[in-house]
Amino acid sequence: MSQKSTIKEKFPPGDFAIWIIIYVELITFGLLFLGYAFSRRSNIEMFNESQLLLNQTSGFINTLILITSSYFVVQAVQTISKMTKESIKESNQKASKWLLYAILCGIGFLVIKFSEFYYIFGEGITLSTNKFFMFYLLLTVFHFMHVILGSVILFNIYNKTKIAGYKPDDYRGFETGASYWHMVDLLWIVLFPLVYIIR
Amino acid sequence: MKTITNIWIILVILTIFAYLLGYLKLINSSLVAILLITTFIKGALVIDYFMGLKTVKLKYRLIPILWLGTVISLITVAYYLPI
Repeated sequence: MSQKSTIKEKFPPGDFAIWIIIYVELITFGLLFLGYAFSRRSNIEMFNESQLLLNQTSGFINTLILITSSYFVVQAVQTISKMTKESIKESNQKASKWLLYAILCGIGFLVIKFSEFYYIFGEGITLSTNKFFMFYLLLTVFHFMHVILGSVILFNIYNKTKIAGYKPDDYRGFETGASYWHMVDLLWIVLFPLVYIIR
Repeated sequence: MKTITNIWIILVILTIFAYLLGYLKLINSSLVAILLITTFIKGALVIDYFMGLKTVKLKYRLIPILWLGTVISLITVAYYLPI
């Protein structure tokens, strides 16, 4: 995916349809990010006070986890894209190893996020508690669902690599899933400082 | 491979920077600007190198970069605009 090239590719990696989905998702989350940022202006003290209930350390660890999982996915894609007809089995096996690491990271993210939700809901916080938590829950639960879907997609790709299902001229589905996972990472990269750090 | 590893290291360093600003309660209005700039850099690195759009025709790269720039710019406006 990241190989240096002087000739620009005509289309982005993966199925074109995934890029339509990615652009729509980016716009949807972008509106929620801006909704949060502009709503904060009308009640800065309440936003700052509510933010204190969040665990910055778990947000930080989850950021590292997602960045690292994306890194593993890039490694997997590079392995597959360099595959030759002679190295199909070996490349699929190597890619499956990288994917397994990425999936484990995804599960790690979900476990940490779930424990955060458990604490927040245990405190009796709901969507209607205040505007901060309305945006917090909308953003993070929506993102959580994307991580679940992304993990399922990666798991399906992983299963296909285990049977050496990707070939040198047929790995577009692999790139499609990888692109979706990077989008999930990109969204969290904006979400983390906005919701957990800025005050 | 080496480039991607370097990108990952940069992303990790910038994430640690963001966390320390919050954890050590150093965050103030001037550091928010720096934090948002680093967030833009992180997002752009993911778009270019992880999503692989650096080697794709400009229009496909521009859409997420413009999205990121617009979102970060408007968050900055929302933070700094006098109430």
